[in-house]
Amino acid sequence: MSSSTFAPAVPNRPRTLVIGSALASSAVLMFFGGLFALYFSRRADAMAWGMEWFPEGAIRLPPGGMNMATMALSAITMMWAVYSVTNDDRIHSYLAMLLTAVMGVAMLNQTVFYFNDIALPIDHSEATTFLFVIVGAHMAMVLVGVLWLGLLLLRALGGQDTSRNRDLVSAAALYWYAAVAVYMVIWLGIYIAK
Amino acid sequence: MTETETAADTTRTGDVVPTALEAAVTTTDHLRIGRAWIASGVLFLVASLVAGLLVSLERMDLSGMALFGSVDTLFRLWSAYRVGIVLLAVVPIIVGLATAVVPLQVGASSVVFPRAASLGFWVWAMGAAITVTGFLIDGGLGTPGGASRTDAVALTLLGMLMVIGGICCSTVCILTTIVAGRTGGMTLSRIPLFAWTVLVAGSIWLVTLPVLAANAVLIYVDLSGRSAVAFGVEDTIWEQLSWAFSHPQVYAFALPLVGIAGDIVPVAARRRHGSHSTLLVLAALIGLLSFGAYAQSAFDIGTPIREQAIFVVEAFLIVPLVLLVLVNLVDTLRRGAGGRRTRMPAPLYLSILSVLFLLAGTVLGALRAVAPLDLLERSTTGAQFTFTIGAALLAAMAGTLWWGDLIVGRVAPQGFGLASALAVAIGIGLVGISDTISGFMGLADFTGGDLSGAGNTGSGVDVLNTVALVGSVHLLVGTLGWLVTGVVRFRGAHSLGDTWGGHTLEWATETVEVTSESPLLDAAVEVDA
Repeated sequence: MSSSTFAPAVPNRPRTLVIGSALASSAVLMFFGGLFALYFSRRADAMAWGMEWFPEGAIRLPPGGMNMATMALSAITMMWAVYSVTNDDRIHSYLAMLLTAVMGVAMLNQTVFYFNDIALPIDHSEATTFLFVIVGAHMAMVLVGVLWLGLLLLRALGGQDTSRNRDLVSAAALYWYAAVAVYMVIWLGIYIAK
Repeated sequence: MTETETAADTTRTGDVVPTALEAAVTTTDHLRIGRAWIASGVLFLVASLVAGLLVSLERMDLSGMALFGSVDTLFRLWSAYRVGIVLLAVVPIIVGLATAVVPLQVGASSVVFPRAASLGFWVWAMGAAITVTGFLIDGGLGTPGGASRTDAVALTLLGMLMVIGGICCSTVCILTTIVAGRTGGMTLSRIPLFAWTVLVAGSIWLVTLPVLAANAVLIYVDLSGRSAVAFGVEDTIWEQLSWAFSHPQVYAFALPLVGIAGDIVPVAARRRHGSHSTLLVLAALIGLLSFGAYAQSAFDIGTPIREQAIFVVEAFLIVPLVLLVLVNLVDTLRRGAGGRRTRMPAPLYLSILSVLFLLAGTVLGALRAVAPLDLLERSTTGAQFTFTIGAALLAAMAGTLWWGDLIVGRVAPQGFGLASALAVAIGIGLVGISDTISGFMGLADFTGGDLSGAGNTGSGVDVLNTVALVGSVHLLVGTLGWLVTGVVRFRGAHSLGDTWGGHTLEWATETVEVTSESPLLDAAVEVDA
């Protein structure tokens, strides 16, 4: 086999972690895109036939609204984390990442509580199957984000998340923003439009 | 006086050497990961082709159902063949080639995120094993008669989800390597055609395979542990997933063949392409037109004419694009005729044949879009699948013969490899042509669902079914020959390096400056001057 020697890569290339995260997040967004496309298409068909989509009163706005507010706030704290790491502000980056992770956990907790509260069976109708699949998949997405943030916090405590090594935080932030964007569609399409 | 002591040698003779299995599981070597993808893909290809051969055998006498006994079993094998050949064979083999070759082509020392690339392979491999198991234990992707075991169907779906996850994970690594791992001077317009087509096709895979996963998750949740409400109803499962195995999604899976042919032809002809940029644009346009299969609802009752028009135009537009690719390649060969060697390399024939088959697939795709011909549900759909995915398979064979010395480090018998690939090409031709004609005679795509019509003894397609069976045998024999070529390669003599006098960076044996899409040719021209 040949042994190849090349000129070293130019250091100013786009950051691999951020690009990788962007590509992975695009794939995740397309997954949700597929679910939403089917959801809205089937919902439009049901409405056109005058059929009930969700049972009356099953979907309440306040829990969804609170979750949306939590996710929106977490996007701001995530931006704060990226800003702090870029500026080598370790204390603020700990705080920002911890707050983001806590808000993610709060959102998961709220969703689990709400779904237990409404006690809507998954096989009640096509709409409830959609509801559980979409919300459940989003919960999995947020859980991955929280775990990622936990890893970042551990690295930060070890002094590795500095401005010279901020790509992992930026990559996690990109993923987190995607999770917030997905929840925005859930909030608008499921909790508000019902 | 100050004494400076050198560090003691820390290499211990008692260090534990990893076993072959440990080395395989923990490897981060992109060549090794690529080899694992290709070898596993070929093994699953053999399994898929066996399923295809059994279906062809049953088609000889559908009314008797002597082999399987029921339409449901036949459908299970038929869908296993379609899913297997795409997600367990052709795409993984292309991913393997890309994992091994693309980093070298763009001047990266390895694939970016090598652990993730390795993880992608193992997730795919486990998913593939689960998918096959699901099909074997009366699962699969539903049947017309609803005779499957629900838990086995769920298992098949779980396997498919892992397969999609593994392919996406590895694709992210390869695309990141192309986007962010290129060496200095290697602009996107200069990257070799194979790397470019992998970039385009991989991007399409990343935005379409997750949609297939979304479909699969809905079905999985709907049928797990309860009576299905909508998506998990057995006779509708294939309907929800079949878009990934038909026009135009299959073009996205086959697109890297343009890159394989595009990298082989100029080296064989000893000439640059007339316009590298034109080929880049053509490949990008083909990729663009292969997008959106999951939204395709053309010719369904009630589909607005505007939506139908989009898909009809799309189906027709792709034909001249593939034709232009072929014209460009032939032009390069023609211009290089004066300076070429007397004996052309085996992969050249295969790569040109693969583009011809792709052209046949796109023409059939366009014909299917002509509503009055009523070919959407006919066996022309199967023929289009055979030509397009077969083209990708043939190109993958050409790719392994072309880059095999680089990937394995040993040489293989080119003549035997060529003979095996030609057997596969004959098989693709026989199955594709017979299914095309049968489709025009009214044979349904899934022939088992049409027992009372075309497909029965005396319906006029018996001879064509026999021809398709002969084609299936050729496909299987040729693939087994390919497998043998691979095994022989591992026992072959060590490769001397640049086997073909390549133009692109993967063949470099010393530092070169990248000044065009053919840096090694530039260097050779400079030396000659």
